[in-house]
Amino acid sequence: MKSRRIRGLTAVISMATAVLAVAACSPSTAPKQKPIASPGSTASGTITFWHFFTDREATAIQGVVNDFEASHPNIKVQVKDGQDDDKMTQAIAGGGGPDVGLSYSTDIVGKFCKSGAWQDLSQYISRDKIDMNNIPDPVRNYTSYAGKQCTMPFLNDAYGIYYNKDMFAAKGITDAPKTLDELTAAAKKLTVFNKDGSIKVAGFDPLFGFYENSAAHFAAMSGAKWLTDDGKSAIGGDPNWQTVLNWQKSLVDWFGYDKLTKFNASLGDEFSAQNAFQAGKVAINLDGEWRIAFLADQAKNMNYGVAPMPVTDQSRYGAGYITGNVIGISRGSKNPEAAWEFIKYLTTNTDAVVKLANGIKNVPTTKAALASPNLTTDPNFKLFLDISANPNTVTTPPSGAGTTYQDDMQAFLDKWQTGKVSNLQSGLTGLDTQINQALANAG
Amino acid sequence: MTTQSAVVARPGTARVRRRRRIRHSLTVLSFMAPALLGILIFLVFPLFTAVNSSLHQFGQLNSPGVWYGLGNYKYLFTQDPFIRNAAWNTLWFVVIMVPAQILTGLSAAALLTKMRKGSSIYRTIFYLPALVPTVAGALAFVYLLKPQVGLVDHLLKLVGIDNGPLWFNSPHWSKPSLTLLAMWGIGNTMVIFLAALLDVPISLYEAAAIDGAGPWQRFRHVTLPSISPVLLFTAITGIIATLSYFTEAAVAASAASGQATVGGGASGSFGYPNESTLSYPLYLYQAGFSQDRLGYANAMAVVLFVVTFLVILVLLKRSKSFTEGAS
Amino acid sequence: MTAVTAPPAAPARRDLAPAPRRRRESTLFFVARHSIAIAVAICALAPIVLVVLTSFMSADQSLTSDFWPHTWHFDNYAEVFRKLPMGRFLLNTLMYSVLATVFMLLSSIPAAYGLAKLRWRGRNLTFVVIICMMLLPAQITTIPLYLWWVKFGMNGTLWPLILPNLLGDAFSIFLLRQFMVTIPQEYLDAAKVDGAGEWRTLLRVVIPMARPGIAAVSLFMFFSTWNDYYGPYLYTSQNDKAWTLSYALASFRGLHNVEWNYVMAAAVITVIPVMVLFFFAQKAFVQGVTLTGVKG
Repeated sequence: MKSRRIRGLTAVISMATAVLAVAACSPSTAPKQKPIASPGSTASGTITFWHFFTDREATAIQGVVNDFEASHPNIKVQVKDGQDDDKMTQAIAGGGGPDVGLSYSTDIVGKFCKSGAWQDLSQYISRDKIDMNNIPDPVRNYTSYAGKQCTMPFLNDAYGIYYNKDMFAAKGITDAPKTLDELTAAAKKLTVFNKDGSIKVAGFDPLFGFYENSAAHFAAMSGAKWLTDDGKSAIGGDPNWQTVLNWQKSLVDWFGYDKLTKFNASLGDEFSAQNAFQAGKVAINLDGEWRIAFLADQAKNMNYGVAPMPVTDQSRYGAGYITGNVIGISRGSKNPEAAWEFIKYLTTNTDAVVKLANGIKNVPTTKAALASPNLTTDPNFKLFLDISANPNTVTTPPSGAGTTYQDDMQAFLDKWQTGKVSNLQSGLTGLDTQINQALANAG
Repeated sequence: MTTQSAVVARPGTARVRRRRRIRHSLTVLSFMAPALLGILIFLVFPLFTAVNSSLHQFGQLNSPGVWYGLGNYKYLFTQDPFIRNAAWNTLWFVVIMVPAQILTGLSAAALLTKMRKGSSIYRTIFYLPALVPTVAGALAFVYLLKPQVGLVDHLLKLVGIDNGPLWFNSPHWSKPSLTLLAMWGIGNTMVIFLAALLDVPISLYEAAAIDGAGPWQRFRHVTLPSISPVLLFTAITGIIATLSYFTEAAVAASAASGQATVGGGASGSFGYPNESTLSYPLYLYQAGFSQDRLGYANAMAVVLFVVTFLVILVLLKRSKSFTEGAS
Repeated sequence: MTAVTAPPAAPARRDLAPAPRRRRESTLFFVARHSIAIAVAICALAPIVLVVLTSFMSADQSLTSDFWPHTWHFDNYAEVFRKLPMGRFLLNTLMYSVLATVFMLLSSIPAAYGLAKLRWRGRNLTFVVIICMMLLPAQITTIPLYLWWVKFGMNGTLWPLILPNLLGDAFSIFLLRQFMVTIPQEYLDAAKVDGAGEWRTLLRVVIPMARPGIAAVSLFMFFSTWNDYYGPYLYTSQNDKAWTLSYALASFRGLHNVEWNYVMAAAVITVIPVMVLFFFAQKAFVQGVTLTGVKG
């Protein structure tokens, strides 16, 4: 027999819960895009700027910030370093966030553009007559999503191959490989095995998961496509994937998967002084332009060369892979005009872009900056600049579901390179289904 | 205000009894109110919100998003390619890591009860790993067990084992390596077992010895029954903790993969190698935050809760000793 | 519940070093036990030694697996203090741990008493519910609550982590309840006969007898909040004035890699206070856990 009091108490609890639950459902209203000021008006005020760099690179950025403040005396910029994507997402989700945010990679472009977390910059771009052709096409591809240009490119990284010239000379190889077959031949020639059969030096390490080896980077070699124009998975329908995956597997099998795994486990950290390429354990390595600075710092005496990635279609030779930092204005920004002035300066003012590229040692993202005589460059670095500007260079397309399709691909490749996939075409078609289902689930 | 538990029964008026009941209820409320409120806010409300969220599609930046009905659950049970792996890994951890931790804690505690000299120092040393921040401990383990070049493999080579396991870099050895890490940090479990072991009355041991029981029989028939409630307690808390196993797996995967861990976070290396360390909570985090599918992550959380709840129910039914004992 | 004949302060329980029953114990067993103990101690200490050694390495060497520092950088510690305001983080962590513990005691002791010694309908159900709360995976609760704390403007502070303890901590309530159940009813009845109400009984009789149990749950709470990473990560990451020591560990990052030598130095700085605390409090700790009657 329940007493009246208990029933009363239960009623109160369920009512309270219902109220709380309903209250939790209140949608967070995104502020509508305010109409922007007319051209020629001066922006002013204080804005906050978050970026992820630390130490030396942060100092480089501060230098450019100071230049901006000098030329725009009405605007003050408060800088916060060491802020990553997670913190920015949290802040914006909580209704706050910086006026201007810099993201390390393009993974957030999809969700920030789709949700309006970063404002659509199209109005500003057309008002101030920014010439978007000044930005190389491959770079433009990763700065917008679903028709919204919610980011501007900041700086980027370009990928090519590095090779050990001494090892090449010792085996009589003169040029860097240009095709996949040449890469295989060179890899086999340069590989040295120990007496017990284990790998001592790998001509080229083909295993996915090793340093910068990833599906996205390898895709650049054959120009394989990730997504169709309507955002669905294009992997199963693109024969270029099968070309590069079959090539990769044949090289893995030649080494022996177990031997490669054991070899990789013994290699040093990618960014330590014991980096496999720097330590002479790998003769040819896929890497980004930052490796030049690391080599200068940690392996001064190494005789190395750089080259674009080998490609299947020779008309694409010179292309590679790029990814970059992106910058945008939070939806809750109180002073988007000043924020835009700042972004405009950082991303389109040639002197500023050059100074940033020189300070951070990344690739600038405007054609004007790429061609600027003030850009400190050496022949090696110049190669990466060319790769970045090459119209055939590819990148990973933004997606509203973050890293979903890349995570799915990675899991598939883990199975693929261990030999657990018997039919590649059907495997890739199955992967398409998986990815499409995951993208549908993400909404 | 006095409440008397033993009261001379006046040919009582209902009003007096009712007033006493009300006073009693108010007293109870004054003790329990914060905890009851806590239950409401920290159990009922989040559960409600989680269930509600799981019926929507949304990301971090556009909550609560769009109504999706049971779509997330449909995806979880029929379409998700990772969920089986994640569930299997977590099940592995529950079945293997928890008993390993219990055994280690119990053995360490038993060892301590036998030590006389220096037991206090040994106790501190054995407990110390539990005080080390998780990130530092996990990383130290990865470096100690680095294949070929780590200290452990050096020692193995000394004993003649040249082709030692690849530890955190092998899909077969990564979970055992994490188990070793868990066994290293069992300080709290050890203290609890120590207390339980010390609590077994010496008279019982003496009686058993008189009956001619050897050490193993004494353990089986005296020690084990006496500490069985504690065993159950640590088993339950261990299982529940394992069901939310996150940090160590994430740190070890990213450190062992040797890849960059930068501003974008390390979730690209979750599960390294080959999804072998992808625990259910890790996958939940990846789906929710890296892939921005918070509705789905909530659905995963709800399923996890239901499983946890069932486990608790089963284990609690088997032991009355938890809830008994109140006056 | 068996009647207890001995006074509660001196239970008929073994101490850690029992009176030697077998004086003529073979040296074989002695050596065997100590060898095992030393082996276990080495396993327990080896990773910690590595942590300490790494804290003295150069940044480059910390990325490699050479475990003996080629060059000793004692200034790493000074550098850690210079890079980050570790002093402030220490204070933040102290505030977090101390306040969380105090608030927990304020709310959990009465709740445990209510569950152990008061009689009311729904008591057993509430106790089961509390056990369920204790066993809830963290992922269930964090996300919904986070958005609410943001609405209250508490984001960027440690209060979302401290204040919930005012409403009780399930684990502490459970342990304290188990403890209080073992307190003989006679003492409470005696107090009632003297005219004490429930609150006075709690304060004057139960709490003094429950000191070991209170010590135990206090230490558990202190240690777990001291090393808490996920909580501060969620709520204070944007506001570096509120960071704790454990969260600071995550900040030693360059663009491409983590500066492990500084991370380890910070880890050592984080461990030392609690290690000292444990060393001095371990007797009370073990005694408290012993007497919680977790054994049932």
